Amino acid sequence: MIQMTQVFKTYPTQIPALSDITLEISSGEFTFIAGPNGSGKTTLLRILFCAERPSRGEVIINGIHITQPRFKKIYQLRRMMGIVSQDFKLLRDRSVSDNIAFALEVTGHVRREAKRKVEEILRRVGLQEREGDSILSLSAGELQRVAIARALVNDPPLLLADEPTGDLDTQTTADVMQIFIDLHAKGTTVVFATHDMDLIQRYPYRVIHILNGRMVKDEMVDRVRAEA
Amino acid sequence: MIFFLRYFIVRTLHNMKGNLFPNLTTIGIMAVSMLIFSIFSLIAFNLTSFLKIWEDKIGVIAYLKRETPLREVEGVLKNIRQLEGVESVKYVSPFDAMAFMETRLGSQKNLLEGIQPTVLPPSLEIQLKKDYRNSIKIKEVISQAKQVPQIEEIQYGQEWVETFSALVHLMRHIQWVLGGLLLAAMIFIISNTLQLTVSTRREEIEIMHLVGASPAFIQIPFYIEGLIQGLLGAGGAILLLLLLYKSFSLYIPFSMREWVGGISILFLPPKTIAWILSGGMILGLFGSFVASMKFLKYSE
Repeated sequence: MIQMTQVFKTYPTQIPALSDITLEISSGEFTFIAGPNGSGKTTLLRILFCAERPSRGEVIINGIHITQPRFKKIYQLRRMMGIVSQDFKLLRDRSVSDNIAFALEVTGHVRREAKRKVEEILRRVGLQEREGDSILSLSAGELQRVAIARALVNDPPLLLADEPTGDLDTQTTADVMQIFIDLHAKGTTVVFATHDMDLIQRYPYRVIHILNGRMVKDEMVDRVRAEA
Repeated sequence: MIFFLRYFIVRTLHNMKGNLFPNLTTIGIMAVSMLIFSIFSLIAFNLTSFLKIWEDKIGVIAYLKRETPLREVEGVLKNIRQLEGVESVKYVSPFDAMAFMETRLGSQKNLLEGIQPTVLPPSLEIQLKKDYRNSIKIKEVISQAKQVPQIEEIQYGQEWVETFSALVHLMRHIQWVLGGLLLAAMIFIISNTLQLTVSTRREEIEIMHLVGASPAFIQIPFYIEGLIQGLLGAGGAILLLLLLYKSFSLYIPFSMREWVGGISILFLPPKTIAWILSGGMILGLFGSFVASMKFLKYSE
């Protein structure tokens, strides 16, 4: 699903944000990208959804060479993926369902079809009761579930999540994590960036550790646990 | 298709409503700029019309030598009639000329008391065919007429027509130079207003980018916004011009009407109005295109 080969990202007058990242994530895999704040996790994800171009190296997603200069159809790539961030990125003047329907509207779905899909996704994230509510009336956990619902409403095969539980309490984090686990169980490839090592320890998935822009370890937590 | 069209229009109107003040400012500035251009268009259009009317009225007066015997006049008339471009010729005797002057002077005709008609030279009033009533063709007829030995002098108001033509050309040049300057200013203004609109909707645009909206889907409402601004600006300019024209027509001094020979001042023809409206829309579109190139770029 994802191939990164010798990827570097350097900002002017700054130390490299990413150095020599080479990794491969298979289809249907759940992968944590772990590291402290400022380690390069967000830059890595932003390169995957083409918000940034690497300074050097090659990135292939689902067979598309996204780092080639002639690749211009970023919007088509983004329709293949759901993107979830720590700050939710929701429209505050719209309702829960309108926020989710927005992702369908802009990709050309007709209203009736959009309504059906929104209802379905709200059931999946457990927000069917809050369909018409204003975004401003939701808790942080609910907001994150709306953001996840919007990312999933187009049924993307790949989900990129950047610290989606960063601002959530333990119970809400567990609820949100359960949504990601269910998605993974249904075959969605999940790339989950977090600095929360306790969270990572609780789940038996692959972990890629990043420190100062370098990939320092790539481990399968369940295997490490088994060996221990 | 209808879904997209409706979506774009609703979003455009929503954008404009949300940024009412910058939008009204842009439309107002556009209207004033287009008004300046339209005023020059109206002046140039009327001067061109006057020129055409006056060219139509152009007549040539050929003064005969005083010693020309009356019996030769018929021969001269025949010669002139045969010239290419001549429609009709009329002989004006010194007595006819005196009678004409008395008519023109009206109550002040006593000024002519004591003056003998014989002081006035006999003349021919030559009317030209329509195609020959312009400053170039008229010269051809005159050079042929000068070959007639009985003719002493020919007058046709050449300087007046040529000066007026030069004035019309000058107005046309000013109109286009001004148009060019206003064009650059309007693109700058529209581009900056749309930049404001883009910045107030930055969050929404960012989310659209995130969920995979196509660049066209994001940009089209801004293009429609530019088109509407251009249309309303140009429409406003035409309305203001009409208002000015009506006021001017109502209060134009009587002496000035006499000066223009009773020719009425015209408003811009529908074709020119359509050009100005289309020009406004194209300008608006171009301004929004510049803004979108700058601020709606996909990615970062």
